[in-house]
Amino acid sequence: MKAERCREWRLSLGAYALGNLPAEERAGLEAHLNGCPDCRAEAESLGAVAQLLPLADPDRFSHPAPQPSPELGKRIAATIGGERRVGRRRRRWQFGLALSGAAAAAAAVLAIVVPPGGGGGNPEQRVAFASLPAGIKIDATLEPHAYGTQIRMYVSGIRSGTLCRGSGPRRHLSLPLGRRLHRSAELGARPLPHQGDRRSRRQPNLRRPRP
Amino acid sequence: MREAYAAHSGELYGFAMRSLGDSGLAEEAVQETFVRAWRAGDRFDPQIGSLRTWLFAILRNVVIDLGRARAARPGVAEGGIEPSVEPLEEALLAWQVEEAMRRIGEDHRRVLFETHYRGRPYAEVAAELGVPEGTVKSRVYYGLRALRVVLEEMGYEG
Repeated sequence: MKAERCREWRLSLGAYALGNLPAEERAGLEAHLNGCPDCRAEAESLGAVAQLLPLADPDRFSHPAPQPSPELGKRIAATIGGERRVGRRRRRWQFGLALSGAAAAAAAVLAIVVPPGGGGGNPEQRVAFASLPAGIKIDATLEPHAYGTQIRMYVSGIRSGTLCRGSGPRRHLSLPLGRRLHRSAELGARPLPHQGDRRSRRQPNLRRPRP
Repeated sequence: MREAYAAHSGELYGFAMRSLGDSGLAEEAVQETFVRAWRAGDRFDPQIGSLRTWLFAILRNVVIDLGRARAARPGVAEGGIEPSVEPLEEALLAWQVEEAMRRIGEDHRRVLFETHYRGRPYAEVAAELGVPEGTVKSRVYYGLRALRVVLEEMGYEG
């Protein structure tokens, strides 16, 4: 009997929550809400949902959700399959880095081959990598500057906590890769980015980079 | 992992697309999410939360990383300003509401779209749909209720 009476009011709660109820109807509804905790709770709950509506862009939800290309699943399976193989090889690379008892970090040794005569009027040069562990992708460029040569590396596929070491013909750099996927480092006048990094001080020495 | 992909890749991609605005980057983000999930598989605990929630948490970090990488790329030595995390939380909520809107019934979506997003009077919408005004009003009510149910399924907690 009470539920029957509430039903009429309930149907107005959507318009009420969205602020679309004419004043006189609203006054009647609010009088009911004052005496009916159930309807009041429903009004508050729908009010919270109504407050979210302005976040949504109607142009977006009027169209079907975008879908990834059908190949994405296969690419992911291939990457994971590649990592499985690297995982087996990785054991040979592990240097017993015991980082706070958690999973030991693997070290990838990347030899950066700098093309000879870099800089001759060419503003930016792409870097070729002599060897890369499977699953790791590096997009790197060299830019000559007055203070030295800047190398920009965009590395993907490296797990958190991995320490990477690269070496060039004259200089080498070490850069600990943390949670981020990229790090830009400079070969030249600036201090190496790992200096002063508390975490890297705790790292044991890694094997010398390959010449 | 194959099952997880079948069940969640569409949603993950939808959110990645929503926050990165580029299909190539969005696919990269989804790929990175599943690869990280695979690597950290032993850390997933179904007692703490659903697989979906866990994957979204990973994707969120991936999107932050990609955003930083993208911000840093066009600049020179100093790198870019790190994008704040707050807009990402908002983007996640916005995406959830949009996704919920897609999932409710067409009748409900239609009245919410016309009355709320286009701000049209109920009587006008009722006339256009050929239904009594009271029907529009009740559809708005049931539409909000349906949205609440879908949002709760997606992990929204009032």
